[in-house]
Amino acid sequence: MHAKAAALSGSKANHSTIARGAIFCEWQAQTLASRGSVSFMLILAIDTALDACAAAILDTRTSKLIAHESMPMKRGHAEALMPLLGRVMAGSGIAFADLDRIAVTTGPGSFTGLRVGLSAARGIGLAASKPVVGITTLTAYAAPVVSENMDAPVIAAIDARHDHVYFQVVSGNGTSLVRPGVIPIHEALEAAQFGAPYLVGNAAEILAARWPSDAPAPLRVDMQPAPEISWVAWLGAAVNPETALARPYYLRAPDAKPQSSLMQQAALAAS
Amino acid sequence: MTTDQPMLVLGIETTCDETAAAVIERQPDGSGKILSNIVHSQISDHAPYGGVVPEIAARAHIDLLDGIIGRAMKDADVNFAQLSGVAAAAGPGLIGGVIVGLTTAKAIAMVHDTPLVAVNHLEAHALTPRLTTSLAFPYCLFLVSGGHTQIVAVLGVGHYVRLGTTVDDAMGEAFDKVAKMLGLPYPGGPQVERAASGGDPKRFAFPRPMLGRPDANFSLSGLKTAVRNEASRLIPLEEQDIADLCASFQAAALESTADRLSVGLRLFEAQFGPPHALVAAGGVASNQAIRGALQAVAAKAQTTLIIPPPALCTDNGAMIAWAGAERLALGLTDTMEAPPRARWLLDADAKAPAGHSKSRAAY
Repeated sequence: MHAKAAALSGSKANHSTIARGAIFCEWQAQTLASRGSVSFMLILAIDTALDACAAAILDTRTSKLIAHESMPMKRGHAEALMPLLGRVMAGSGIAFADLDRIAVTTGPGSFTGLRVGLSAARGIGLAASKPVVGITTLTAYAAPVVSENMDAPVIAAIDARHDHVYFQVVSGNGTSLVRPGVIPIHEALEAAQFGAPYLVGNAAEILAARWPSDAPAPLRVDMQPAPEISWVAWLGAAVNPETALARPYYLRAPDAKPQSSLMQQAALAAS
Repeated sequence: MTTDQPMLVLGIETTCDETAAAVIERQPDGSGKILSNIVHSQISDHAPYGGVVPEIAARAHIDLLDGIIGRAMKDADVNFAQLSGVAAAAGPGLIGGVIVGLTTAKAIAMVHDTPLVAVNHLEAHALTPRLTTSLAFPYCLFLVSGGHTQIVAVLGVGHYVRLGTTVDDAMGEAFDKVAKMLGLPYPGGPQVERAASGGDPKRFAFPRPMLGRPDANFSLSGLKTAVRNEASRLIPLEEQDIADLCASFQAAALESTADRLSVGLRLFEAQFGPPHALVAAGGVASNQAIRGALQAVAAKAQTTLIIPPPALCTDNGAMIAWAGAERLALGLTDTMEAPPRARWLLDADAKAPAGHSKSRAAY
């Protein structure tokens, strides 16, 4: 099983995912061991990468969300986010100058959606001179389950359409089993070899429906349209700003092919 | 916003393949000064594809924009709290890029409670000459770029009447497509102009679209097809063939442009009296051959030709900042609800020419 796990992990680690793996380990060390070990901070968290538009302000000293709002939506994040952010800030009574950090989901998810949140977070960071940290949606989905200190593996899967999922597997203690990538669903199902998992992410039910009948059944299938914004905030407090960069995490190249001129086409036709 | 104080305005432009930011200062007397103007062209990112790829453009905008804004602020020696306004091009354009620019602008505006101005990119082109010269309304604008070919009566800030438009391709688009079919490097417009300078404009008798029509509309798609047919017939193309094709194409486009603009100026005068100037703006306005043709048109119509310097003709942040300042001076600001817009008519009442309700002229 270990050899297969390594093969699964290795063969799919074809994106620049090493830094993200490091983030996850650092987070689980810091956050899982004790939330109290996170230094006291006021964090503004933003998520528009998937089917919600959400923002929250977390005070790690009191472990309370001072203000938060999450609106389910498939489209329209660009129109909705800044008014929502205005309401959250007004409701919190916190000024931008009082924030210690801004955390934002970086994807994988809707390319346009994740850029909405990143634009807002980076714009605020620039104008208010605050650090901005990035959290992947896969990490944010997995975090609540990993934090329960379970032994079972946690599979985070996000619908990438065309029978593919954005996909990551971590063990119950948060160490990486399969690095983030975009893979066909039938390949994702190979993760059944790690034992009965927790399935999280907006594609959790897609995987559950096709789960191999001869494999241990998932312990829980938790399908949320978007990560919990509170977890984006908590993760944002825990990560290192030097490594958890607020940059898009697409996992997919743009769909574009180089084009040829009439002359090149003629040359091709003649050859 | 009162107008008795100088205003400092940040402008952000991300509607196509330039990531740009600038800070301008507007004096109470209406004069303006560019304090910084940073433009990052993504040309090399799109060159392998022979045109702007929207997703690649959007990715570059999000990667670069905050750094470019930071540089523009530093170059201007202005901090965010000092700004009188934050302006962003909210369209029309490639929506992925517009979203990045507008959302960033909203975020900056929200942090210091600075007024936001959601600028129409076309309005920014229209108002640019007032940044560099003292020009009163009304004037006639020829907006000519890779995305637009319009003749517009500029009657005041926010007050525009479209007198003519292309019913198919934009001028810059036609130049780019001709370059592409002839295997010239991207971006093709300047390459066509360069090749044309060594070519025979009379070798090919390409059609002069719309010549003599009473309206002021353009059509470039048929001309482009005529070039394609001729080029296909000549394959394999020698260098001189390419030069002659480019020269003959450009001559046809210029003759058509001169005719369309003359009609546009007549329509302008009939409705609004003589214009204070004929203004050209947009990327194609930096084409020297077109500048020459416009000079002749303006002279014939007994009006002044104003073409902003090339750096202000192509997309830039200063024009957005300036349009933002002009709107701000009139108290025209926008809310956090301001939507990013892929389509946004400068003249909200403009109707597509008869028979072209489904063409780009309809928006």
